[in-house]
Amino acid sequence: MIRRRAETQQPTEDTELLRTLAGVCRRAAAGDLEARLPAIGDSPAAIEARSAVNALLDVTDAFVRESGAALSAAAEGRFHRRFLTRGMLGSFRHAASTIGAANDAMQASAVRVAESDRARLALADQLESAVLTVSEQVATAATEMGASANGLSDFAREAVAGAERGLTTVGSLRTASDQIRNAVDLINQVASQTRLLALNATIEAARAGEAGRGFSVVAGEVKVLANETSESSDEIIGQVATVQSAAADAIEVLESVTESIREMSRLVTGIAAAVDGSHDSGNAGLSQLAEVLRGEVSRFVTTVRAS
Amino acid sequence: MERTFGDDEIIVSKTDLRGLFTYANDVFLRTSALTEDETVGQPHNIIRHPDMPRAVFKLLWDTLKRREELFAYVVNLAADGAHYWVLAHVTPSFDGAGTVVGYHSSRRRPERRAVDAAAALYAELRAAEQRGPGGSGGQAGLDASWKLLHERLGGRSYDEFVWDLTNGGGR
Ligand SMILES: Cc1cc2nc3c(=O)[nH]c(=O)nc-3n(C[C@H](O)[C@H](O)[C@H](O)COP(=O)(O)O)c2cc1C
Repeated sequence: MIRRRAETQQPTEDTELLRTLAGVCRRAAAGDLEARLPAIGDSPAAIEARSAVNALLDVTDAFVRESGAALSAAAEGRFHRRFLTRGMLGSFRHAASTIGAANDAMQASAVRVAESDRARLALADQLESAVLTVSEQVATAATEMGASANGLSDFAREAVAGAERGLTTVGSLRTASDQIRNAVDLINQVASQTRLLALNATIEAARAGEAGRGFSVVAGEVKVLANETSESSDEIIGQVATVQSAAADAIEVLESVTESIREMSRLVTGIAAAVDGSHDSGNAGLSQLAEVLRGEVSRFVTTVRAS
Repeated sequence: MERTFGDDEIIVSKTDLRGLFTYANDVFLRTSALTEDETVGQPHNIIRHPDMPRAVFKLLWDTLKRREELFAYVVNLAADGAHYWVLAHVTPSFDGAGTVVGYHSSRRRPERRAVDAAAALYAELRAAEQRGPGGSGGQAGLDASWKLLHERLGGRSYDEFVWDLTNGGGR
């Protein structure tokens, strides 16, 4: 009787126990790691079996909590938060080490990224200050060049005016020479006429004999005077010719100087247009270009800093 | 008397939302010198050691209320009068819908060096808590201890303090 009871009860208890075990395992398999096996008996085997099942659930539960938290900490850059391998065995330990290594790799690349960020920002700073310096220098140079160009234009204008005045002066010199030549021609005519007169007077004086002797001396003097006049007229003509040829040379030189100065003036105007910009062609001046460059670089640097 | 446990072991306990035990593993029961019947349904502070500052438990509960994890060095008092140090990892337990259904702690054996550093800090905090007008239970003491904790951490979080000790003292 006792034996029969034991035989009928044993399977019922076993079935109950197996159902409980299956229920806990099903819950855990479905991801409910809160499930633990309740007490299933007082025998050493029952205690050991329960402890073993719960130890499996404990380590799985701990591993799941740790791995998720360790990875999200690494993703947030909290690299000090490690997956501690202590208490983890076998595959659990191995996987914990793998996560730790991944964490190290993420930290290393985060450090590299931070370094290249720093380098990029430093580069942006350098570029910005270099361009600032350059554009300031260009602006200063442009201002100075503009002032010099204006000064040169004024100078060229004055030089041209001076040369033109010179041309007028030389021109009036030439006119004066012509007038002198005319006057000398007239004097020459008078002199040769006088010479003729003196000759006639000498002949007439000779014909008059002793009475014309005194007159003959005067006629001789007049002839000498006329000859001297002719000689100095020739000298004057020679000097006038020299003056005229010098004046012609001077005119040539002055004209070529004037042309050179005009050419220079055009070049200077071109430089001034390049420096200050010109309204006609719509070209931007050097200082404007430097300002544009600075604006572009500052926009670029802002983008680099933000990225 | 100080008690230790194995490098391969983890001490596990689970509580409901109020901090009453719902589960304790056999390593917990052994080191705490408790039976399962003496544990399940009881508040977790049955193993509270008088050397533990209240500021640390305030930090623990504040962190759990934010649904975050906490690592902490903790000394516990076993029912037989022994004590044991742990590096505790305390986390909320979520159900499939993301609702907090309870709390969980797995504890590892800590390194001596880390324990010494934590014990020195905790001694200062405990002293600050006992100096307050209401004694160790007063609000003023807790406030003073909380302030001192942050002073001692010097700009670091408690979490960083724990990990400096842990990463420096072997894993
Ligand atoms: C999951 C979990 C684990 C805990 N583990 C411990 C522990 O190991 N030791 C401890 O003294 N308190 C632990 N506590 C905190 C206690 O609930 C309690 O706040 C603490 O012992 C202080 O007691 P008191 O609140 O009565 O002052 C734990 C709390 C939770 C939620």
